[in-house]
Amino acid sequence: MAAGQTASWRRVAADPALLTAILAVWILLLLFVLYPLAHLLERAFFDESGFTLEPLLASLVDSGHQAAFFNSLILATAVGVLGTALGFLFALTAVRAGLSRHWLTFLDAAALLPLVSPPFTTSIAIIFSFGPRGFITHDLLGLTNVSAYGFWSTMSAETLTYFPIAYLTLRPILAAIDPNLEEMAFSLGGSRWRIFRTVTVPLAVPGFANAFLLLFAASLADFATPLILAGNSFPVLPTQAYLQITGLFDFKGGAVLSLILLVPAVAVFLLQRAWVGRRTYVTVTGKVGQRSRSRAIAPWASALLVAACVAVAVIIIYFYALLLIASLVVAFGANNSFTLHHYEVIFTEGLPAIRDTLIIAAIGMPLGGFYGVLVGYLIARRNFPGRRAMELVAMINYALPGTIVGIAYLIAFNDPPVALTGGVLIIVACYVFRYSPTGIRATVALLQQIDRSLEEASSSLGAGSGETFRRITLPLIAPAFFAGLGVVFIRSMTAISATIFLVSISWTLITVRILENMTEMALGPAAAFSVFVIVVVFIVVAGLSAILVRLRAPAAGAAARSFLGG
Amino acid sequence: MAPISIQLDRISKRFDHTVKGEVYAVREVSLAVEQGELLTLLGPSGCGKSTTLRMIAGFEEPDEGTISIAGKDVTHVLPNRRGIGFVFQNYALFPHLSVFENVAYGLRVQGRDGPAIARAVGDVLELVGLAHYDRQQPHQLSGGEQQRVALARAVVFQPEVLLFDEPLSNLDAKLRVEMREQIRALQKRIGITTVYVTHDQEEAMAISDRIAVMDRGEIVQQGSADQLYYRPASEFVARFIGRTNILPGRVVSAAEIEIEGLRITLATGRATGETVQLVVRPEMIELGPSAGDPVEGRIAARTFLGEKTDYLVTLGGSTLQVSATDHYRRPPLDVGQPVGVRFHPEGLHVLA
Repeated sequence: MAAGQTASWRRVAADPALLTAILAVWILLLLFVLYPLAHLLERAFFDESGFTLEPLLASLVDSGHQAAFFNSLILATAVGVLGTALGFLFALTAVRAGLSRHWLTFLDAAALLPLVSPPFTTSIAIIFSFGPRGFITHDLLGLTNVSAYGFWSTMSAETLTYFPIAYLTLRPILAAIDPNLEEMAFSLGGSRWRIFRTVTVPLAVPGFANAFLLLFAASLADFATPLILAGNSFPVLPTQAYLQITGLFDFKGGAVLSLILLVPAVAVFLLQRAWVGRRTYVTVTGKVGQRSRSRAIAPWASALLVAACVAVAVIIIYFYALLLIASLVVAFGANNSFTLHHYEVIFTEGLPAIRDTLIIAAIGMPLGGFYGVLVGYLIARRNFPGRRAMELVAMINYALPGTIVGIAYLIAFNDPPVALTGGVLIIVACYVFRYSPTGIRATVALLQQIDRSLEEASSSLGAGSGETFRRITLPLIAPAFFAGLGVVFIRSMTAISATIFLVSISWTLITVRILENMTEMALGPAAAFSVFVIVVVFIVVAGLSAILVRLRAPAAGAAARSFLGG
Repeated sequence: MAPISIQLDRISKRFDHTVKGEVYAVREVSLAVEQGELLTLLGPSGCGKSTTLRMIAGFEEPDEGTISIAGKDVTHVLPNRRGIGFVFQNYALFPHLSVFENVAYGLRVQGRDGPAIARAVGDVLELVGLAHYDRQQPHQLSGGEQQRVALARAVVFQPEVLLFDEPLSNLDAKLRVEMREQIRALQKRIGITTVYVTHDQEEAMAISDRIAVMDRGEIVQQGSADQLYYRPASEFVARFIGRTNILPGRVVSAAEIEIEGLRITLATGRATGETVQLVVRPEMIELGPSAGDPVEGRIAARTFLGEKTDYLVTLGGSTLQVSATDHYRRPPLDVGQPVGVRFHPEGLHVLA
């Protein structure tokens, strides 16, 4: 019955906190999402003579572009499916296999490594391993003439890089499914496999859809991995668009090309909404049932899950060991003598990039975390005119490939009335509006499992919407808040696709320096930078986890404890 | 008569139904609850009783009509400014707060100082019999204890009115009886105006000063439990409250009717020859030896329930439910046995 609350401005106007929040979010969305996008569309579709479709049509009939389009779709679908499966495997193992704390921490750490790494790291490791002079292909197998480039390596690298997103999305959802439900099905005589199919998996459906969408969009938007690994045989749209701009200085052509990418991104988004939107999944209520240790997974299945996760974890750790070694030797594969020279380099001539990146991340993190939770809450819980539009607009910068956002910001904020190019604000804004949707989605997913009556209870006890949000909702969605916080920080440290267009002489980024190092074939400093980023991100994320433990958010149950890793 | 505390004036609530289009969940409901009264909204699921309650609380806004509490129009006032205590079906205890903090919540929101809060919370926990539970977490409590915390939380800030939405439906039968007595005792002690929603007619009859029966979004009858039981306004009410027989009767004269060939002295005020619907409760029919009755009944089934014995009796074209409570002094009747059926004028109610 609660679903029928009508959206009226009168209701909103009676609630000053709600009205303020809605207006503030809309102003920000207009300025940092719609305004740049409008500028970009204008640049793509208008010339001196007015509206024209010529660049778009020219782009569509280009056979190279068509190949890139289909390659992008195949890659994103493969990464979405495999990454979701891998994330589910890890989440199920963490939640249901009954592992000890130490094993959980180990799996968490391994699974989260790729997420906290700068781009290129998996790519570098794959080249170190499988390249012409790779550790595995050349040194161990003695193969020559192998290629580490193309679909398989790109897909593997992206899956390993992005599956932790699925893990983070699915784990709290699985944790929130009351084992009693599975117990009950078990007691009804269902086999374990049947229960898994008919109870566990359907309850996790919103999580699957969210995870797939996030991975699909991440793969579509990723250009760092294909830039290194895809090679000439497997062109994808983001790299084509990027090269169009940096190589040919064809802004119009690049913009048009990346706009084509919008079609699949929007399609997946709408599909997900139509599919998940109709169902409600309330499994957390104020009534707290007896929790039982689940017996819904057979011991041999548990062992199999754990073995699979450990295998994946070992591959990841092997990759990162390679990276660490490469940062500590003179030239990996050629001169393997120990040196700290690469670290000297990054802390002297690389220092400005480190300082700038840390400042930007420190500013963006709290802003992005709060923004994500606020918008997620408004979308999931409040009813106001334009709610769906807000949800859609808030997702735009995430769904768009980074290149398109970067170019849009560059064009829009280069000139008055809002001249931000060259400053720090443009980079921070780019990160906040591009990476908070993870926090928004996490908030929505968590709120879908928290019964509305908790907020109604607070309201009936005299708390206004702002106070209810602060006292009840926020503590219950703290896991989502810190997930949002963490993701914005991690991305601020590791992203490149959009911000490569926004760096300037006064503000630059570590990731851009890594790319420069790689193009100069200075793999040592690139590896050292990567190791540094990973260490910083891990320290901050560990700090966030510690805060989360102290907050004791029971809505996410035990998931909160090691939500972001140990 | 006590002053009116809650007044609903022709409120309606519509929902968009995917198949049926726009449907009324609540249609032109008017209701007045007196100060200190406990009124129950009773009806089957989907009858609009919870929606009505949620509109009083402010969780839903009526599409038409007005709601006033204590003489003030609150139709468009937010829930947090209405001064209502609400007890939810699932209790809705804040899982991240202790029992003490759950109960203290409303007072903290009001900005009361620490000692005053501690005193008020201590008093109300004492009142619901949970004096030493203040440091427990909700998940450590049993269902009945959670329910009492929810109750304490709803009354501690001395709200204008108290609303219950099927508060006992998650408890087992014995606890349900115990809790409803506690709720009633507490409500009388603090004298708070209360609206109580349930689909359980026994619960409604046990707890209420007055009951409003709802069906398909509308209030079909209001009154005390015995009014609804003895003088139901419709077949729906008669069947929903208690068990009942609805029998066709033919008016044979100004002072006499005929049921399945049996004549009973009853002034119906209807025209001779007209057919009326008669409500007869099972315990108001008497079974005895068939001493020359023009029509006799036959026992079709018997169920011994301890305090009473239920029979199904065929009489002409009707099957009657009959309850007998006197088998401690008379032998029970056997299935298949012919039996005389007696109706008493006082036990017959003619439906309009």
